[in-house]
Amino acid sequence: MTMLIEMNNVYKTYVLGEVKVPALHAISLEVEDNEYVAIMGPSGSGKSTLMNIMGCLDTPTSGSYNLGRKDVGGLNDNQLSDIRNTKIGFVFQTFNLLPRTTALHNVELPLIYSGMSSFKRKQLAMDVLERVGLSDRIMHKPNELSGGERQRVAIARALVNKPSLILADEPTGNLDSKTGEEIIEIMQSLCEQGNTIILVTHEEYIAKQTNRIIRLRDGIIEGDEN
Amino acid sequence: MIILENIQMALQSLKTNPLRSALTLTGIAVGIGAVLYVVILGEITQQRINERLESLGSNVLLIRPGYSRLRGVRTAAIYTNLKWDEAKEIKTTSNVITLTVPTYTDQGVAEFKDQNWSTRITGTTPEYETINNDHPIEGRFFSEDELNRKSRVCLLGATVHEKLFGNLSPIGESILINSKRFTVIGLLGSKGESWHNPDNQIFIPLTTAQERLYGADYLTSILAQMRSADDYDESLFDIETILRRNHRLRPDQDNDFRVRRQDLYLSTVRETNIEIANFIIIIALVSLIVGGIGVANVMLVTVTERTREIGIRRAIGAKKFHILTQFLVEAMILGIIGGILGIVGCMGFNYFFTGIGLNIPLDWIGYSFIICFGIGSIAGLYPAFQAANKNVIDALRYE
Repeated sequence: MTMLIEMNNVYKTYVLGEVKVPALHAISLEVEDNEYVAIMGPSGSGKSTLMNIMGCLDTPTSGSYNLGRKDVGGLNDNQLSDIRNTKIGFVFQTFNLLPRTTALHNVELPLIYSGMSSFKRKQLAMDVLERVGLSDRIMHKPNELSGGERQRVAIARALVNKPSLILADEPTGNLDSKTGEEIIEIMQSLCEQGNTIILVTHEEYIAKQTNRIIRLRDGIIEGDEN
Repeated sequence: MIILENIQMALQSLKTNPLRSALTLTGIAVGIGAVLYVVILGEITQQRINERLESLGSNVLLIRPGYSRLRGVRTAAIYTNLKWDEAKEIKTTSNVITLTVPTYTDQGVAEFKDQNWSTRITGTTPEYETINNDHPIEGRFFSEDELNRKSRVCLLGATVHEKLFGNLSPIGESILINSKRFTVIGLLGSKGESWHNPDNQIFIPLTTAQERLYGADYLTSILAQMRSADDYDESLFDIETILRRNHRLRPDQDNDFRVRRQDLYLSTVRETNIEIANFIIIIALVSLIVGGIGVANVMLVTVTERTREIGIRRAIGAKKFHILTQFLVEAMILGIIGGILGIVGCMGFNYFFTGIGLNIPLDWIGYSFIICFGIGSIAGLYPAFQAANKNVIDALRYE
């Protein structure tokens, strides 16, 4: 097994006016390839901050973060954009699809920014939409889709660039429990297909289905169970 | 590649807010349309003045009565001091003046059947045709014989013809001028608009005008043709000598007449025209700038509205450059479409309302296009920078 994520003594401090608000405190953790990890913790525990740093949306105040043996700390905005584009797939609680844009185009979007030709990326996007069971919905816009379908479009978008890491931030938070389970099943099967998934959740029963649970409290890792 | 995507995205985003897009486009369209319209109008006026300048020739002087001044003090306006005999004397005495044409112009009313039209009546001699290079497009000028016999014949200017006869041929018809019966023998071509519309005029023999219509023994002007334009100083000297002696002016009195070269007069008109045109263009440009501000305003609103979209795009890998070009292209497209609408609108307006037709100079269509493109770019620059520099995490959470 190769190491995908190596965090060493990561601190994150927000400065609000003159007050320094610590969000992460000396976080050190490692995630291997093809792991299925849940991050749990009460609100304000630093889950989102950790996810943002893992997803290269944010950078640590201090400490080092290696993603796929590459130190992300010293990268500039363009390089971080490239990493988000090619190495990471996001799945958000609120889906975050572009409104007034078809499912197909939403899934194509990461490929547009990686510069793939129109024909190739349509092909690829349709393949991925088929994998999440939406081949009959490709020309529908988000407001014409159910919540579960929207989240599956978002998953297809996260998968389309064949990322090394999928970050899902409470992917079932806005869904009823039945469709939530469907999404979790898809996550499960993605893991079986060899993807690395890190999932933030409040639900103990969802976390139980993963291989590893990391518990955060007040910016500190409280527990790390297999 | 990305540019093509951007254009598609921009068009889609413009479709999303049709009314807002339409209003913004109108701002640009009206601005560029106004500029284009003024430019075209200016160019057409210039063309007509130039045509007139060419037809006049540079060797004709215009002598008109003027003020009498005594030691710098204007004493009285004398409009009756130019006589036909003086015109003849200038021609026979001067070595450099080859031809003089006397004219008497007054107001009059022309009637044909139930139509009547108030216009200028100009009495002159047959040489008027030669000196002004103004040949009838139909019929003929009156002859020396008709001049001597005080014949009641007339030639119509284009405007008078249109007002009285419409499209019908006037030749041989009989009209009333100041209630006296005249036969139309000729029709003059249109010379285009000017300060005094030269087409709104009727020409009759000078003798007929002076004796039969107005009972005047003086002239309102004399046209004098020089051998060449180089003879100006000598011609002026001859005219002044003859007229001052005839008018018994003392050496300390100013001329009671004015001498002007027609082409110089028109050149002044042309320069004034250019100045006025430039001034109006500046005003029109202001409205174009207002249109540009409209684009900037809409882009700022768009960027704020789509904060979350920007966050999503950035999260899945769009670079700042991609976001910048996306919004910049949108503003440019607003500018370009507005420009096209403005150009087409201006052509339409010309076609239907001004009768100028569709002949907009191609180079100006090109300039308009570039101007609109530039205005769109400038207006979009700041909003696009704002969009590109949004914090990704905040943008993703924006509601």
